[in-house]
Amino acid sequence: MKKQRRTGSRLLMGLVFAFLYAPILLLIIFSFNAGESNSVWHGFSLHWYKELFQNRIIMESVYTTLLVSVLSTLIATVIGTFAAIGLYSLRRRLRSPLLTINNIPMMNADIVTGVSLCLFFAAFFQGWRVFARWFNDVQDVLELPLRLTLGFTTLLIAHLVFNIPYVILNVAPKLRQMDKNLVDAAQDLGCTWMQAFWKVILPEIKPGIVSGALIAFTMSIDDFVISYFTAGSATSTLAMTIYGMTKKRITPEINAISTLLFVVVLVLLLVNNVREARLERQNQRRTAPGAARPVSGPVKPVKTHRSLKRFGAFAAAAALLVTLVALGGSARSQRVVNVCSWGEYIDPELIDIFEERTGIRVNYQTAESNEAMYSLLMSGGGDYDVITPSDYMIAQLIEEDMLAELNYDNIPNFAKIGQQFRNLSYDPDNKYTVPYAWGTVGIIYDRNKLTEEPTSWSVLYDDANAGDVLLINNSRDAYGIALKHLGYSVNTTDEDEIRQAHALVADAMDRGVFQGKVMDEVFQKMEGGNAAVVTYYAGDYLSMAENQADYVDLGFVIPEEGSNWFVDAMCVLKDTPHMSEAEEWINFMASTEASLRNMDYIWYASPNTEALERYPAYYEELYEEPLDQEVYEIMAAPADVLARCEMYVSLPARIRTLYKDLWITLGI
Amino acid sequence: MKNKLSGFAVPYVVWMALVVVIPILIMAVYSVTTADFDLTGENFTRMGAYVSVFARSFELAIIATLVCLLMGYPMAYLMAKEGPGFQRVAMALIMLPMWMNFLLRTYSWMSILENNGLLNQFFSRIGLIDLVNHIGLALAADPSQYIPITHFQMIGTSGAVVLGMVYNYLPFMILPIYSVIVKLDHSLLEAAHDLGSNNITVFRRVIFPLSLPGVLSGVTMVFVPSVSTFAISRLLGGGTHMMLGDLIEQQFLGGAYDPHLGAAISMVMMVIVVVCMVVMNHFGEGEEQAVML
Repeated sequence: MKKQRRTGSRLLMGLVFAFLYAPILLLIIFSFNAGESNSVWHGFSLHWYKELFQNRIIMESVYTTLLVSVLSTLIATVIGTFAAIGLYSLRRRLRSPLLTINNIPMMNADIVTGVSLCLFFAAFFQGWRVFARWFNDVQDVLELPLRLTLGFTTLLIAHLVFNIPYVILNVAPKLRQMDKNLVDAAQDLGCTWMQAFWKVILPEIKPGIVSGALIAFTMSIDDFVISYFTAGSATSTLAMTIYGMTKKRITPEINAISTLLFVVVLVLLLVNNVREARLERQNQRRTAPGAARPVSGPVKPVKTHRSLKRFGAFAAAAALLVTLVALGGSARSQRVVNVCSWGEYIDPELIDIFEERTGIRVNYQTAESNEAMYSLLMSGGGDYDVITPSDYMIAQLIEEDMLAELNYDNIPNFAKIGQQFRNLSYDPDNKYTVPYAWGTVGIIYDRNKLTEEPTSWSVLYDDANAGDVLLINNSRDAYGIALKHLGYSVNTTDEDEIRQAHALVADAMDRGVFQGKVMDEVFQKMEGGNAAVVTYYAGDYLSMAENQADYVDLGFVIPEEGSNWFVDAMCVLKDTPHMSEAEEWINFMASTEASLRNMDYIWYASPNTEALERYPAYYEELYEEPLDQEVYEIMAAPADVLARCEMYVSLPARIRTLYKDLWITLGI
Repeated sequence: MKNKLSGFAVPYVVWMALVVVIPILIMAVYSVTTADFDLTGENFTRMGAYVSVFARSFELAIIATLVCLLMGYPMAYLMAKEGPGFQRVAMALIMLPMWMNFLLRTYSWMSILENNGLLNQFFSRIGLIDLVNHIGLALAADPSQYIPITHFQMIGTSGAVVLGMVYNYLPFMILPIYSVIVKLDHSLLEAAHDLGSNNITVFRRVIFPLSLPGVLSGVTMVFVPSVSTFAISRLLGGGTHMMLGDLIEQQFLGGAYDPHLGAAISMVMMVIVVVCMVVMNHFGEGEEQAVML
């Protein structure tokens, strides 16, 4: 009877453990998959482990994660221990409110802590800017940087904010249990208070310190939300990298790194467990005969053994820290340029070529949309030098005085940019920008799902395609298209017209026409045949068509109502410390060689006239077959198509707020 | 001597003022001002449009907390009844997944729940999907109109979001409950037995009331991150059903930059969470028994 119940209870626990471990087990299994899929087995291979160690983005984020966790744990343990001792020697009336404040970061939702710190840092950076400007004016010995951004330091501070309270929480009970007279006794016997601290207090509270450190480390490793709001764009923990990847394509290297992490943790826990079990047995043996020893009393194995072990642990921690710092230091001591662009918007080999030629390290980051990039910049998180926003956003950034004027003498390749791409409405005197690519917005559709070629934007709002339409996830494009469909200008400032456009989209959403809102996710959705229609950019259509599954047949069309044509241009943020590197990068990307290569990879037309003209020949030489004229015209829309298209201009603040307010009500 | 030790507290008090109190004050200022820092109550009235988001977040978080409690309590109880060796291993096994970042664990569920993911493959392998189609066809009023299903829609549903919450936060429920039960005074249980109670009564009248602090601590530790999550809803919910966390994230780092509105929503969330906790602590006799892990 008893035995039966025990099996039942073990079975129940087994089920919970199965639930906890099944997903982890799958990650481990698929890390050895020869294919790319996470659900179809293609055979055993160690391929992804090899790839992992060559994947700079993942390795760097693993490094950041470990460094911030180790550092914040060490610092939090020291500060937390002293703070706990200090707090406990305060009078009660003073202590309780302070302990309540101490609890705030643990009790608050992570997102509230993250957001409040994000605002705090942004306010600090603004204050700093004012101070630095004044400081640089009054003296010229020391030049302070004007622009500070979120980065490793802010990340570390944020981790300390939530780690220290955990240490205090674990040390405090031990202090409470400790006999207060012990310290007095030690001092009566001639100890200085320093000695009393080391010889009396510390040994008593050691278990609390150890468990506090352990919990702090666990919390650091596990954290995503607070890091996300405080690390900025250039520093990325592993969790942030994965989060970014889930929007585009997740590479199976993630499975490999998960497995490695799991194995390391498992080994650590096993070692610890065996050690504890052994200690316990020793303890039992010792206490068994007399059985008078209190259970909670400190365990004292042979002394030399213990100090040796302590030394070992200390040495290991120190070695880990030194390696981490050394690894980081070596990577940080060279010239750097931080570039922000869109997903799938550069041939990655160009970065390698540039780095090899100039020795400048390129920190290449992507943002999801113009609006998301703007948010990052405003909250102090965009640690960028060069950005590649679209026309209307450039106009807004210039208006808000956020861009630096370029020195075109350092960018000789600007001469190759076609006249029709210079002095455009967003930068009339062409002081801030060098165009990067241009294109059109159109309908991408799956011929196997739509019976006829669409000629109007109405397919996007049609019940016939319910559940199969993807809505582009940025307000400017989504409403711009709707405005065009209604026969209005994409740049209208008539609130009524904009509300009509919103109603068109919102109504379709209520009727369940849209499957979801997408930006970078569009690639896997359309290529895999998971949706039938989407509004997206011409160049991206061509790369989707290149990668489409064999049961998918994608087409592209610019509807009769007309559309939007856009220019994305490279600009440099004001007060960047890397101006010369930034100009070198811009000059390199504007060169004919880089433009040709890039065009071939991203399928967006280059504004470099020479490159644009030579592309068909370049293609033929490379692939030994002529470039399809239709493809070329989708890339570089001919004049008659462009005549139907409008370029966005920056909208007045009032209309921007309206866009934002209307947009956020979609999908809630 | 006493004064010397209390001096240790000073740097930390300064630190707390700087990075705990001031950020929250800044957030409070943002929540009641416009972009030009004029005083306004508009941020709070504008929130009216998002009542449905609040409702959805709380609903899903409450469901997830209840499921965690229903799974976590028996688990903690059974664990506490095992021998010390077993307990130690079980504890380690529960902690272990937390050392892999929670995004890794959530990501793994994506490939399980996807339309042509592992679970759907499994269902179609064992013929479940065919079975559903057969039944559907037989029940359909007009068989020619019946569209057979090719998969069960799991990813992108609220169910998937709740699953993600339960999976990620279950350890936070188990550990505090376990640590309370394991410390229960056994003489109390023996006394109850001696006084004639059967097992069920002992559990109901003695063990459960005494484990309440653990339950309360577990409930808050699951509920607070659940109600404010945005990564789980984005990854497993497909981002189509917005939750409070998504809404806040949108205002700061997403497509709708408006930190003032974001701060106002965060303030409201903070107040609601604090009120919930005060009420619960009151309910649980308010003993400051911060049972962490």
